[in-house]
Amino acid sequence: MKVGKIIKVSGPLVVAEGMDEANVYDVVLVSDNRLVGEIIEMRGDRASIQVYEETTGIGPGDPVYTTGEPLSVELGPGLLEAMFDGIQRPLEEFRVKSGDFMTRGTKVDNLNREKKWNFTPTVKVGDVVEEGDVIGTVQETPLILHKILVPIGVRGTVTSIEEGEFTVVDEICVLDGEKRLQMMQKWPVRKGRPFKKKLNPDVPLLTGQRVIDTFFPVAKGGTAAIPGPFGSGKTVVQHQLAKWADTEIVVYVGCGERGNEMTDVLMEFPEIIDPATGESLMKRTVLIANTSNMPVAAREASIYTGITLAEYFRDMGYSVAIMADSTSRWAEALREMSGRLEEMPGDEGYPAYLASRAAEFYERAGKVICKGSDNREGAITVIGAVSPPGGDISEPVSQATLRIVKVFWGLDHALSYKRHFPAINWLNSYTLYQTKMDKWMAENIDKDFAKNRAKAMSLLQEEASLQEIVRLVGRDSLSYEDQLKLEATKSIREDYLQQNAFHDTDTFCSHAKQNKMLKLVLEFYDLGMKALEKGVYLKDIEKMKVREKIARSKYIDEEELYKIDDIITELNGAIEKLIQEGGILDA
Amino acid sequence: MIYMFKVGVIGDKDSVLAFKALGVHVFTVSEGDEARKMVDTLARTNYGVIFITEQIASLIPDTVERYDKEIIPAVILIPSNQGTLDIGIRRINENVEKAVGSNIL
Repeated sequence: MKVGKIIKVSGPLVVAEGMDEANVYDVVLVSDNRLVGEIIEMRGDRASIQVYEETTGIGPGDPVYTTGEPLSVELGPGLLEAMFDGIQRPLEEFRVKSGDFMTRGTKVDNLNREKKWNFTPTVKVGDVVEEGDVIGTVQETPLILHKILVPIGVRGTVTSIEEGEFTVVDEICVLDGEKRLQMMQKWPVRKGRPFKKKLNPDVPLLTGQRVIDTFFPVAKGGTAAIPGPFGSGKTVVQHQLAKWADTEIVVYVGCGERGNEMTDVLMEFPEIIDPATGESLMKRTVLIANTSNMPVAAREASIYTGITLAEYFRDMGYSVAIMADSTSRWAEALREMSGRLEEMPGDEGYPAYLASRAAEFYERAGKVICKGSDNREGAITVIGAVSPPGGDISEPVSQATLRIVKVFWGLDHALSYKRHFPAINWLNSYTLYQTKMDKWMAENIDKDFAKNRAKAMSLLQEEASLQEIVRLVGRDSLSYEDQLKLEATKSIREDYLQQNAFHDTDTFCSHAKQNKMLKLVLEFYDLGMKALEKGVYLKDIEKMKVREKIARSKYIDEEELYKIDDIITELNGAIEKLIQEGGILDA
Repeated sequence: MIYMFKVGVIGDKDSVLAFKALGVHVFTVSEGDEARKMVDTLARTNYGVIFITEQIASLIPDTVERYDKEIIPAVILIPSNQGTLDIGIRRINENVEKAVGSNIL
């Protein structure tokens, strides 16, 4: 291939001429340090290249070598538990080779080439396989059975297949006597992996977070966005979802955020034990880190790298959740590159194609029937954090995101200031999956769940308007019914919606527990109203001892849910007693 | 037939017994709980005006407040035979202040 020559360097953007043989989106190696870069624009024989590493010391005249390949990730055993940078280079190997900070031009293989995996074939000689078929499996971690798939575009009859210990590049299977397959395959990150058919997402993703699962559920295969100002808990919500979401695989993309947040993930995840399997949660997690001090161009790629890995696991028939924290930093990386390319800026300097790029990313989510003859179903749920400056979501990144995603969890600074966590504002958040999720809840959890949810939500909405009156003329001017309503919504807010991410029991709440707790807090309102009607004093209702137990019901273990039923019984008894004592029964 | 409300008076025996002469129903009570129930019961049984002595009313502020917002019954505080505690007049003053903005009495 022809070698190009650099004529301009502007931060991570390098312009080289003599590149007429290269194509846009090809990976190139810049200068004799062989820094990885990608062509993002071609004009005549001039290529604009975004370089994924520090470009200090590079100048005009330096050579540019074309590889003729698009930016690709390597897919195969070895992905789980690992931490990669934005273009899938393993950070651990980096550390071994070059110390705590990345040295440029270090060459490492994306997947470990030496490690041997125990490959068990699932097809035999003579079987006809098509693209996406499973030819064998590797027990990558105790949690995840890594399925080795026939690469896209390959089909044929198995003429030989091996069993035993192999590295990812060893030949394990031959099709038609000539197509040699290894465990590893490559896929360009900017291209979505194909599937047979997209399905309508209809199963909720259990996140264990009450405000999300009850009020704003996201479907498996859906898309959600978490916009919020600084310090409102975006990262904690993302971590909680990564920890507790009931998906088989989690891909966590730390994109332009603080390094210590990734450290938190690295420190905390191995300690959390998945209750279903007794294994560490890290064993189902892939981390992609491009922290704020890492090269900005790789930040742009990290999102695509992440979703391509997610798609690979989806194609195995797994349900995958990908968290991107935060897509604003990714958009800022786009803006930086766009500025250096001297493109015409759009809103707030973001490139005009911001919305289409964001859509491209989110549209790779979905529940699909995967390629392959066994019609397995896989799903990718995308959850993106957005950090709008000043918390004002009328900025381009938030708006571009909200146009695509179906669930919006609006974090509220006022709530986090009040120490109400998760600080998801119940008045402006929404989900477009509600009807489907209600149906699923009715079939699988409780037929009254949707009714209770709607009731709790309408109480919360009424509370907002009552609060305005309270601010004007004081709480005492409200009727007793309205004052009780305020008490009940306070209970919904504090006893139900607030959830402590750092409490052993409260950090995760199953659907069954949510259902019972919701019933409990609503029962307090219903019975309270009944008592008021019978002439019981509001003060006596407010002072009931059992209310403390309602407040503590969130700390009841998942195994002891009958205790919540006991509290409902006790509440009924207490109200009965109040009516007997203070009510006017014979009126 | 015109719908008629009844008038009741609640208080200690010495203070309220004389109301009988006026045809007002007299209910004698001596402690808070008893008074509270009595007021609630009267309110539910078609009493339009309930007089209550300040001494008794001071024991059950919640109950008195409860009927503040309702048109019927009117709970009116009266002094007892031991003199006045000024609660009644204070309440009137407060209401006037709320209604017209300053105390014009």
